[in-house]
Amino acid sequence: MEIHVDKDACVGCGLCVKDCPMHVYELQNNVSVAVRPNNCMGCLSCHEICPAQALEHRGVYPARRHYIDIKVCEMLRKVI
Amino acid sequence: MSAGYIDELHEAFHSDLAYRSEDIPLECSPKPKEMEQTLHGVMKLNGLIIRSLEEIAGRGANAVTYRAGKKFGHEVAKYFQKREDVEGALHELSDLLRGQYSFEVWKPEDKETFIIEENGETFIYLVFHDCIVRQTLRRNGLEQGGPLCQTLFGYVVGAIEEITGRKAKLEIVHTGPNACLKKLILK
Repeated sequence: MEIHVDKDACVGCGLCVKDCPMHVYELQNNVSVAVRPNNCMGCLSCHEICPAQALEHRGVYPARRHYIDIKVCEMLRKVI
Repeated sequence: MSAGYIDELHEAFHSDLAYRSEDIPLECSPKPKEMEQTLHGVMKLNGLIIRSLEEIAGRGANAVTYRAGKKFGHEVAKYFQKREDVEGALHELSDLLRGQYSFEVWKPEDKETFIIEENGETFIYLVFHDCIVRQTLRRNGLEQGGPLCQTLFGYVVGAIEEITGRKAKLEIVHTGPNACLKKLILK
């Protein structure tokens, strides 16, 4: 698993550090650093809570997503 | 109601197919793509049932759904080969859950084996990737780890108990949008 933290974007809030049960992240000089990337199981809850959207994971298995509303997507496609 | 509309309805529900009683359908009808709306309907309905159950029964909702899942797990797994080794049982379980859930046995990098002994308990970490429960909860904006998750817990525990003959317990360690970490405790 490769985890990339955008150092310019990270605001050093530490939410990913607190949230990760496997202690993948540590705050170093007010920036989050992935110190144990091999402990990441790819839940991506850090992505969901990161206010700066500063995280990128490579090598994650993407779970099936059935919860996307088809009608909403159709409308979005018309707009985008 | 006009006669034209009734004729139209009759026309829509009429076919020239010859269907014999011994015919066994070999595939789902209609195609899965056409079932998307149905799937969303079922997910919405399940979400509403769980939300209402929680409102009425409070914390008791977890016990109800856990029990339901466990019964289902025992029921389904009784047709599977009985095995004493946990690894084999988990393999059987992944076959059993195929299409609805997918999981892998997982360990942190500092552990040498997948079967971990810590603080007097023996357990295995399972990472659930594909999960219809998670999809349903997110579709309905419900929190993960509640009564609907307990159904899956019961299901896994019931199936493991049925296959291995050993008592088991499942605990949530962490939930996420893409995967959830669970601990299968063996007794």
